[in-house]
Amino acid sequence: MHFNFLTMDKILVVDDDVDILTLVQMTLSMNGFDVEAVSHWQNIDHSIVHFNPDLILLDVSLGGADGREICKKIKSTKETEHIPVILFSANIEMEKSVHACNAQAFISKPYELPKLLQTIRYNIDESKSA
Amino acid sequence: MQVFTSVLVLTIFFLAFIITDIRQYKERKVSSMKTLAHVIGLNSVSALEFRDNEAAKDMLLSLKDNSPEVVHAEITDKDGKPFASYTRPGIPNVNTPGVVSGENVQLTGEQLFVSDNIINSNNEQLGKVSLEVGLSELEETKKAKYRLAAVLLLIALGFSFVIAVVVQAYISKRLLYLINNMNEAGKTGNYNIRIADEGKDEIGTLMKVFNKLMQQVTESQQRKDEFIGIASHELKTPLTSIKGYLDLLNVVEEKQPNKQFVQKSLDSVQKLESLIKDLLDVSKIQSGQLQLNITQFDINALIDETIASMQMISASHRISRENDPGPLLVSADRQRIEQVLINILSNAIKYSPGENKVVVSTKNTGAELVIKVRDYGIGIAAEELTDIFERFYRTKDSSVHISGFGLGLYICRDIMQRHKGKIWVEREEKGSSFYFALPINKQ
Repeated sequence: MHFNFLTMDKILVVDDDVDILTLVQMTLSMNGFDVEAVSHWQNIDHSIVHFNPDLILLDVSLGGADGREICKKIKSTKETEHIPVILFSANIEMEKSVHACNAQAFISKPYELPKLLQTIRYNIDESKSA
Repeated sequence: MQVFTSVLVLTIFFLAFIITDIRQYKERKVSSMKTLAHVIGLNSVSALEFRDNEAAKDMLLSLKDNSPEVVHAEITDKDGKPFASYTRPGIPNVNTPGVVSGENVQLTGEQLFVSDNIINSNNEQLGKVSLEVGLSELEETKKAKYRLAAVLLLIALGFSFVIAVVVQAYISKRLLYLINNMNEAGKTGNYNIRIADEGKDEIGTLMKVFNKLMQQVTESQQRKDEFIGIASHELKTPLTSIKGYLDLLNVVEEKQPNKQFVQKSLDSVQKLESLIKDLLDVSKIQSGQLQLNITQFDINALIDETIASMQMISASHRISRENDPGPLLVSADRQRIEQVLINILSNAIKYSPGENKVVVSTKNTGAELVIKVRDYGIGIAAEELTDIFERFYRTKDSSVHISGFGLGLYICRDIMQRHKGKIWVEREEKGSSFYFALPINKQ
């Protein structure tokens, strides 16, 4: 598969589980996205600045941090508030928090690949047309 | 009950008291009349010895003012002949059997007869004096006493009733309050309630113990919820990896039997996912946490979509819909209703392994939409018709091995109950018909 790096959408994936992180990175890469993977939540800010993602897939239970709080911060900072955030969690109750922390969507673990891709696609398109 | 016993005791006590009192009164009366008779006798000695009737009569007349209860008095001489007599004014001169032989005292219901021998200093009997005493005073006193007793009894009754009611209310009120709270907790599954009770008695202690118990239960529930949160997270995380990498492998691997190995693994992953989800749902139901997310949607469209997606994964069976009505809007939790439909459809397929069709039909009764799923499989034994909706129940029919925890129908029933709907099953000649009814709001 050949992708034009200039037109590929960029996704920042954050998850403290290395296996899942690698899996998602590989899966999204194979589906035409430029992916940066972060396992330590402290590196998120650096990544956002330097990688400039079009969407962030953010795990909620980040071992030492709550993804929802991080989402709130991203969404309340001027420079980053435009980036769509999808919450990612094994706990389906987290879906209820989407609105409260200003995230755009929720994907549960384990995920259905078509649904994951569709949700990412949709939210990137939405934010670009806004 | 307590009021009744108190009143009974009081009544007995009062009666005993009155009866004793009356008896004592009678005895006193008899005694005083005997004394009177004796005194009259003594005073008549000289009158009798000197055969002075007038003197005796005058003396007897003094009875009018001194002893008004004496109705009749008579002095007879030693031969028994009347010597002097007295009748109280106003009394008709009835010839009463003045002296009854032998008896000095005779007390009938109405009258008292007292007589005494008149004896002089030489111990010779000069005659007899007999008195007839009216007992109307006694009757009056008796009546007065009974009246008084009745009044006192009523007052006592009133008092004890009031006190009993107040005490009862005080105790009952607190106990009822406790009972209501207990019922509430049991019904809602919310054990995080505490009762305020200032009482220093046994009931106060009961309340304190209840509060402690509630606290233990809520803590236990919290620990259970935390555990479920952790467990589901821990179980689902490696499952995510397994599923994800198998998906990738499925894409990358084109050779057989490799691809088939991958597919079979994916099937099992799917089952595992489903089981964990069911377990989680049941746990939420148990702790009263399952909540509905109500939206308005077209249920007929949902049915069609669900049949279509189920059809994609069931190669063995053909799922068809008998009728095809137009759109119907309902207010319900779409995801949960879909869950019920998927569960019943997959059961229909699971329990008809040798067959190849499942038929879905709907009926709009106006008040509700009844959805029927018919399978032509192994059917359900009559005695199991309600059991199958119980938690962890799996059929005893061993003709087919069925996987799963036995939670699906339990969850479906809970979902339907939360929607104020119904779910039930009927036996068919071959197979079963599952029905579930969803209320339709008339708007």
